[in-house]
Amino acid sequence: MKHFLMTTFLSAALALPAFAADYTIIAPANPGGGWDQTARSMQQVMQQAGISGNVQVQNVPGAGGTIGLAQFSSQGQGNPNTLLVGGYVMVGAILTNHSPVTLRDVEPIARLTGEYEAIVVPASSPIQTMADLVAELKKNPGAVSWGGGSAGGTDHIMAGLIAKAAGVDPKAINYIAFSGGGEALAAILGAQVTAGISGYGEFESQIKSGTLRLLAVSSAERLPGVDAPTLKEAGLDIAVQNWRMVAAAPGLSAEQKAAVSADVEKLAKSPQWAEVLKTKGWQDTYLAGEAFKEQLDKDIAATETILKDIGLVQ
Amino acid sequence: MSGNAIPSTRAKADKAAFGIALFLAALSALIFWDASRLQAVASYSRVGPATIPTVIAACLLGLAVWTAVAARAGDFPRRERQEIGPVAWVVGGLVLQMLCLKTLGFSIATGLLFAMTAAAFGKRKLHVTIPLGILLCLAIWLLFAGLLQLSLPAGPLEHLLRR
Amino acid sequence: MSTFDFLLQGLLVAMQPMNLIYALIGVTLGTAVGVLPGIGPALTVALLLPVTYRLDPGGSLIMFAGIYYGGMYGGSTTSILLNTPGESSSIVTALEGNKMARAGRGGPALATAAIGSFVAGLIATIGLAFIAPAIVKLALVFGPREYFALMVLAFVTVSSAFGDSTLRGLTSLFLGFALAIIGIDQLTGQTRMSFGVPDLLDGVEVTTLAVAMFAIGETLYIAAQGEQGPDKVEAVRGSVWMTGQDWARSWKPWLRGTVIGFPIGAMPAGGAEIGTFLSYATEKRLTKHPEEFGHGAIEGVAGPEAANNASAAGTLVPLLTLGLPTTATAAIMLAGFQQYGLQPGPLLFATNPQLVWGLIASLLIANFMLLVLNLPLVGLWVKLLTIPRPWLYAGILTFATLGTIGANPSVFELGMLLAFGLMGYLMRVFGYPIAPVVVGLILGPLAEQQLRRALAISQGDPSVLFTSPIAAVLLAIAALALIVPAVLRARGKGQVLSQLAASED
Repeated sequence: MKHFLMTTFLSAALALPAFAADYTIIAPANPGGGWDQTARSMQQVMQQAGISGNVQVQNVPGAGGTIGLAQFSSQGQGNPNTLLVGGYVMVGAILTNHSPVTLRDVEPIARLTGEYEAIVVPASSPIQTMADLVAELKKNPGAVSWGGGSAGGTDHIMAGLIAKAAGVDPKAINYIAFSGGGEALAAILGAQVTAGISGYGEFESQIKSGTLRLLAVSSAERLPGVDAPTLKEAGLDIAVQNWRMVAAAPGLSAEQKAAVSADVEKLAKSPQWAEVLKTKGWQDTYLAGEAFKEQLDKDIAATETILKDIGLVQ
Repeated sequence: MSGNAIPSTRAKADKAAFGIALFLAALSALIFWDASRLQAVASYSRVGPATIPTVIAACLLGLAVWTAVAARAGDFPRRERQEIGPVAWVVGGLVLQMLCLKTLGFSIATGLLFAMTAAAFGKRKLHVTIPLGILLCLAIWLLFAGLLQLSLPAGPLEHLLRR
Repeated sequence: MSTFDFLLQGLLVAMQPMNLIYALIGVTLGTAVGVLPGIGPALTVALLLPVTYRLDPGGSLIMFAGIYYGGMYGGSTTSILLNTPGESSSIVTALEGNKMARAGRGGPALATAAIGSFVAGLIATIGLAFIAPAIVKLALVFGPREYFALMVLAFVTVSSAFGDSTLRGLTSLFLGFALAIIGIDQLTGQTRMSFGVPDLLDGVEVTTLAVAMFAIGETLYIAAQGEQGPDKVEAVRGSVWMTGQDWARSWKPWLRGTVIGFPIGAMPAGGAEIGTFLSYATEKRLTKHPEEFGHGAIEGVAGPEAANNASAAGTLVPLLTLGLPTTATAAIMLAGFQQYGLQPGPLLFATNPQLVWGLIASLLIANFMLLVLNLPLVGLWVKLLTIPRPWLYAGILTFATLGTIGANPSVFELGMLLAFGLMGYLMRVFGYPIAPVVVGLILGPLAEQQLRRALAISQGDPSVLFTSPIAAVLLAIAALALIVPAVLRARGKGQVLSQLAASED
């Protein structure tokens, strides 16, 4: 039995051909979350597509990714073989935690995937449309409790943006932060809160089975296969994408940077990655180079404004 | 853990227990101070981020007073004689492991801890126990980092094996 | 096809010889990694999931089930033998289990844990198959105020781990609360007690604290006794196996642990630890041998271990019926399911019956394999205790730090391990109980968050805390648990009553 086990693993380990670059991917979150899944999917695809023979994933959880970010920027300095997975949530976390290390201290390579936010109410709720919800919010902002993820995260920012666009003081929103998607979803399903905000994927199966009513999505245009208006159609000028990206360490030479970018592009264009996106239900929002950096700067500025409006950042 | 503690029969003020009371009071003050600088971010709950810490700090202060009273009355269990030597060996081992982990890798750092802990319990032949510890930890590293994909810091020894 | 047909079909697939081997490999691997202190089932499953990719769907599903149950079970062995809880849900096991091992009863302790886990896993998995929809309705009724009431009840039960002094028990508990404040406040995003140190932003990891206080604190304490310390542990006194009396004292705690653990595991914010606390307190109240609690009572191992494993199956209830990943482990399992093209959700039982029943059958088989793997090893494990002390404690520290490094290879984390280890040592010297610190760290933040959520939703009206029927009942039970023993003690009549009262502090 033991021999069988050993031979299975040894043969699997030895069967891997040697490749030029080994990578260590830092997932700045606990196992199971979106960043961890992104990192582990990258690990799988990079090995399958022959981009790298040995890819390790390391979890450095904590504080919306800022702990992983800080560790990455100091310890990874000049190391072309380490990558960091991150995303939009990090932008808000850096601001609310007063993180001394920001995204400017690493080398953002590319945006890989994105997810749009969905606003839902339980099926039993009298609220039928986004307009109904906005009306309730205007009547008494405190009576509308929003259930979503951590304070200062994408979901919280969305609630603030909706209030602002509806002409309600974002400071007045009654946002209830839950730890993790499952707990928030349970509170929404149990009608403990008025409305829920989270990534569309979190709600998808509930919406399809009719236990949740989808009021709107945060994309700029309607999503294929999703029967709901965008926030813009509902009269609120908001478009938010909860994106995930990959960054390289600071202090790389131009060639090293180009090599990493090429590997990441190979990953994003591979059929195996397309397969991962399909099974996980992630949107492909690949954006690299200067275009990505420009978009990043815009997102950071907008996030800072709304967090100040909500009162989370002074 | 305190099951076999025997209460002291002499009613004599207990200096170490006063130290505990002082520690609890200091901890309480620290929490009070930390809670005082938190801002009440707009929320509909009357219980804000500072409320619970303040309550805990107040209770700790109460416990500090209670501890002081108990210390005065000599209510603390009699303590057995503690030998500092072995404790220093173990603590030294842990500190050494902490300092060497990133540079020398898992096996050497943890091997040192192994040898020093053994030394604390009487096996002082470091020239035997250190190599033994390192070999053992290298085997552990091979098993967990090699086969089971756990990420354990690699040092010179581990790199030697990988190549 | 009916439910039974699906289950039988699933069992037939799972019982093919090759699949049985996969189940055994999965259980072995899961136990091997899950046994590391600090590495819980979530990381175990995340690490080992890629191993299953290489197999066909049936085999991979069954290996996956094995890894999950193996990872859940792994922690109890180290809790009992080395006083080093592998994860937060086996902390309670260490309380009585390690005392039993010290007294030469490690064999029965391991056996009751293994068999209890099996019994609980079996009943809970069957429960998952047949009453999941009803359980999940109950779980959804639980909102913040109900959770808060549940936490209050759990707090009351903590008093059963206080030891012989109320002052020192309370102090321990509040030290745990103080540690729990550290980190980012989840509801407002503000940092508390972190003093600008980024490593503190995420607070104190429960397993780090538990490993430090139990394993390192204990090692230091034993070392400090020097030569005059306790002689070598007597590994086996009496039988290695459970005696008739052990069986008689274990079977009820197994069943009660299952009944407590399964629904709490199914609750989105329940968590396996709370089930184990409640089970321990229940057994302490109901036992006919209250004098043994704190010195190695078999009920105190049997109940919590059963509760722990029942809640592992309970976690799958919201996952399979609602697509709700309520724990980190469940979130990884969700990712695992996706590789089979399975989208957990409310329609899963209807649209994908083969896979669901295949999984449930796999869990049953994995549960059985766990017993097959662990029972014969009991004799071997207890031999661990005969290792001379220098090597035993050197091994314990190697092992304890290995888990911490594997979960998060940071120097700061090791520093915390050392600091809390010293704290655990000093607390032992001064006769403070250790368990309440860990309990305070686990329950404190949960209670605070749920209270604040409940009050925010009600816009500051505290009456909501009592007006929901479930919350009111839970609070009433908590009040009774506090008041009744006190009253009985005051009256001091009847032998049973005074026993009840004696177990109170």
